[in-house]
Order: sequence, then C-alpha cells, then structure tokens
Amino acid sequence: MKFFKIFFLSVILFFNTSLFADEASDWLRKEIDIILNAYLNENISNEERFLMIEQTINENFAGTGIAKFIAGNAWTKASKETKKNYIKSFKRHLALNIASMMQGYSDQKYELSSSKIDKNKVILVNMEIFSNTGSVVVTWRLKEAKNRLFVIDLLVADISLVVTKRSEFNSMLKNVDYNLEEFNSILDNQNEESLQKIINQ
Amino acid sequence: MIRNKFIFFTIIFFLFNYNLFASESDEVNTQPDDFETSKVEDEIYDPFEPVNRAIFSFNNVADRVVLEPVAKGYKKLPSPIQSGISNFLSNLRAPLVVVNQLLQGQGENAIQSSGRFIINSTVGLLGIFDVAEKIGIEEKEEDFGQTLATWGVGDGFYIVLPLFGPSNIRDTSGMLITMVTDPINAYAVSEGEAWLVPMRTAANAVDQRSKIIDEVNALRDNSVDYYAAVRSSYYQNRKAAIANVDDSELTPLPLISIEFE
Repeated sequence: MKFFKIFFLSVILFFNTSLFADEASDWLRKEIDIILNAYLNENISNEERFLMIEQTINENFAGTGIAKFIAGNAWTKASKETKKNYIKSFKRHLALNIASMMQGYSDQKYELSSSKIDKNKVILVNMEIFSNTGSVVVTWRLKEAKNRLFVIDLLVADISLVVTKRSEFNSMLKNVDYNLEEFNSILDNQNEESLQKIINQ
Repeated sequence: MIRNKFIFFTIIFFLFNYNLFASESDEVNTQPDDFETSKVEDEIYDPFEPVNRAIFSFNNVADRVVLEPVAKGYKKLPSPIQSGISNFLSNLRAPLVVVNQLLQGQGENAIQSSGRFIINSTVGLLGIFDVAEKIGIEEKEEDFGQTLATWGVGDGFYIVLPLFGPSNIRDTSGMLITMVTDPINAYAVSEGEAWLVPMRTAANAVDQRSKIIDEVNALRDNSVDYYAAVRSSYYQNRKAAIANVDDSELTPLPLISIEFE
C-alpha cells in the first residue's frame, strides 16, 4: 500500500514538472514568432511595431521581479511612488533591449531545442539562430507561476541579460548614491533616446 | 486515519501545485541578497576605471569609424567566402589550441583538435573548408588566459587595452604569451614577412566583429552605462569559457521572483 502511495505521488510530481517542460518550447515559439512577424509586417510604422513588441514582452517577461533584482540595494531606500515609476521605466527599457536584439534575428531561421528543467525548477530552452556563416545560441530561462510561464532571463552566448543589466545599473546607481528617483530620470532619457533610434531607423 | 492524512496531503499538494492559492503567488518573494550591493559588480576589480573608460571611449570611436563599417562590408561578401576566411583563420589558431588543451590536461580534446587541424589543413585545403566539422569533430577554443585560470591564476584587475578591448591582467598575459609562442607568427617573422602578423590580427578582429554586429549595436544603443555593460559581458563570457560551460544549466544565475501588480 505504501509503495502505491509513493508511486502515485511520484507520478503526479513527474507529470506536473514535465508538463511545462514539454509545453515551454511551443509556448516560446508562439511568442517569439509574434515578435519576429512584427518585423516582417511592412504595413505598420516603426513605432506601432515597437508598441506591439513591447506589449508581447510585458505580457511574457517577469518584468517586476527582474526590475527589483536589477535595482539591488537602491530598491529598499526608494519610496512607493519611485518604485512604481522605476518599474514602468524598466519595463520599457527591457522591451527596447529585447526589440533591438530580436530585430537582428528577424530575417534568420531559428530552431528551439527540447526544453529541460534545472535544479531550481527553471526551464531552459535553447534557441539556435542560423545565419549564412554560422549560428548563435540564445538560452531562454522560464519560470512557472499561476499555471503559466514567464521569461526570467535570456542568455546570448553565455551572457545573461539580467546579470549584465544589474552590473550596468549598479555602476550608474553608484554615481547617484543609489537614489532611485534620480536614476529614473537617467533611465527615462536613455529610453527616449533608444526609442527614437527604433522609430527613425 | 492514515488514509485521511494521505487524501488531505494529496489535495493540498494539488492546490499548491496548480496555484489555486492565488494570493500566495502574489506575495513578494525576493531573496535577502537581492537588496545587497551587486555581487557581480563587486567581483570585477577595476581600480583604473577612469583610465579604462577613456581608452574604452577611444576604442568605441575606432569601432564606429573603422571596425564596424569594415565588418559590415565583410558581411556583404558571399557567405562561402566569409566562411572560408573564418575557417582559415580558425585553423591557424588550432596548434596553440592543442597546446593549451594539453596544458589543461584535456588529452581527449587535444587529440580531437589535432585531428581537426590535420584534416582541415589537408582535405580542407589549408583550412578553408571545415571538413572535420562535417564528420563530427567539433571546434573547441582554448587560450593561454584560460590555461592560466585553470592553473589557479586569478583575474587580476580589469583593463581596457587600446584597440584590443576588454581584458584583465591574466588574460592580457595570456595574449602576450600567444603572440610570442604562435608558430604561424614565428614562421612569418623568420621568413621576413612580419607584416603578416598585424594583418592576421586585423583579419581576426573583422571576422569576429562581423559575427556580433547586431548584439553589439543592441547593447550600445540601449545601455545606460555601455562601459559597465561590456565589462560585465566580458567577465561572464570568460567565466563560461574557463569553466568550459556548454550547458547554460551549469551557469550560476539569479532566481528572479515572479510578481503580480
């Protein structure tokens, strides 16, 4: 009897974790295609295209969690209003970064390898993007919450976007004595500059 | 009684598993470390940051004015020509890759890389065609910086080299050892063709830069501090190369909490 109980629970646990691992690639492919197809659509303006991509990224990335992690110790000192503004600006910054990167891949073929779950229950999906002369591997890190998946990081050639952004933001935050409010205006200016580049290209 | 406990446990397990306790999922679930000064930033010892930033700015201008346009032009070449040049340059690096693999105790990799070099230099017409790859012998890169790291030599401080870009004391030493010991360069110099050495370095730079045009531009156009972004990227890339991480699962990365507004 005890054996059957253990077996029953093991089967539930196995199917439950492998469910997301198997579905992750399909889900990711759908979301990546939305972004890449936006670049192939010539009937929309650059701004409309970016807003479409931004919406997809905001819906599928763990933007708030990433924003908090990247702010580091500046987060604790900030007021509620400043935190809210920072998260809003960060989400746009994240979208601008991803959109800018994905634009380079829009005319290339890609393949998603089978997904796997690491020891922290993070699902890893490798995306191999092929160019005429070789390929680059982008690894998507996905986490499950509320019975769906969210992207928590992506790695291009072993370089994590989240780790790079944390280091970059921390370097800038040091200059403003970890004042998130002051940093928000720097981030907004950078976002505006990046957005103009995307719109005017 | 035991049966009831089992049913209760199973129901609770299901509820947690499928997040029916939605309010629990909304709770902030960050790690205490999240609010500490970035460990990633602290690990990078950069005592000459002002000087490095000045050299970085110079390199950035040189990249925009010379390297990037040349790399973009190179990318317009027919892909077989690009692949041929890239394969040829890569094959020239192979003898030192073998030496470094041996110095790191990677006997099997050294045999494979030697095999690659022999096959590509002969059947692959001086390395222009990567025949070895087609028969399943994959390319593996190792350099003296990685070898020194494997022997326990630390990074030293971060340094930005004019034209060569981001490095550290260990990797710069490795690069100097490469320059001195490279048999192809030594042969060119002994034959009175020393001009081939900087030509080869420049060709390598253009070839490598052409492979990351989009990535570099995305980083440069969207960074609040491009210098810090490149410094972090350099260290992450080197750490993975030293650890020979082929699998991202092995890379220690932050666990981001999912939060709902």
